[in-house]
Amino acid sequence: MRTLLELTMPLESGLMTTARLATGGVCSLAGLDLDTSEDCKVCLTESLLLLMHRGFSAVRVRFFEDEGLLVRAAGTGEIREAGEYPEDEISFALLGALNGSVTTAKKGGKLAEISFRFAK
Amino acid sequence: MDEDELFRAYRRTGDQALRNEIVERNLHIASILAKKFVGRGVEYDDLFQVASLALIKGVERFEPDKGLKFSTFITPTITGEIKNYFRDRSRLVHLPRKVSELRALARKEAEEELTRTGKKPSAAQLAARLGVTEEELLRAEEAGSVVSLDRTVDDDSENMSFYDVLASGGDAYENLENRDAVISALKELSGQERAVVNFRFGQELSQAETAKRMGVSQMYISRMERKILEKLRENLKKSMAE
Repeated sequence: MRTLLELTMPLESGLMTTARLATGGVCSLAGLDLDTSEDCKVCLTESLLLLMHRGFSAVRVRFFEDEGLLVRAAGTGEIREAGEYPEDEISFALLGALNGSVTTAKKGGKLAEISFRFAK
Repeated sequence: MDEDELFRAYRRTGDQALRNEIVERNLHIASILAKKFVGRGVEYDDLFQVASLALIKGVERFEPDKGLKFSTFITPTITGEIKNYFRDRSRLVHLPRKVSELRALARKEAEEELTRTGKKPSAAQLAARLGVTEEELLRAEEAGSVVSLDRTVDDDSENMSFYDVLASGGDAYENLENRDAVISALKELSGQERAVVNFRFGQELSQAETAKRMGVSQMYISRMERKILEKLRENLKKSMAE
């Protein structure tokens, strides 16, 4: 499993496009087709939003080439107060709808990492 | 009444007013999901319409006694419908033209490869086959804002067409020819069709706003728009061949 890119960034709405563009480039490196790349970008955006809503101020996203692309997004940095976001439920459902392999990990009882894999 | 009670009452009575209330309460889900897919070459209004129709269908299929929340149930349904829509729909003309052509070529090549080998090609493979850089191909795919040929041409055809302002390769003669082709294609439309073109592409109103101004339903405008685009495509083909 080869690491293609590690991206550490503040969890801010203004940086979502940057994260999406980086994801598009990495998807291409991993050999994903264009439709799958678009789905991968949506999944990453939703993951970042979910982590942001849990109070993480930054995120470390790692992209691995592994018969496709494995993405791991882990919340890092200072913890801000988490809010109530009813649309999170939609984000989880959307992740599940676009990718059947989504896994989550908790830290201190709180969602802290989201992983998903897209096959070539 | 909470959501479960509403669903049960609707199942029991079949009352359309109850169904409408369920749909209205959940319309925000259609809106949220439509926004997630903006930027892939289809307008928000159209995506919202597809999502809303999927929502209505979903209301008919949802079983509240299975213990699933409606939002969890409906999200994959709407997502599936939007993805199907992307697969099925092809657009008339994209801007700029080079980007449009590259997108179309990439789709065609990808489909042919899928038919040949059962596998979709990667962006790198596609780019190599099309003789462009990977970056060019990815940028073409990223280009979300798409405008039709008739964008700035109104009823009396006095306005400049988009070819006048967004030249591809700087070929002024070609632009002029294309502008003439657009004008003559528009002449074949009826008054009502030209009004739709004017509202939708000249004034850039949404389908909903266009429907309001013309005193018809949004669905009617949507169907009419599709018909107009087909008609324009045919007219353009004819006038280009002449």
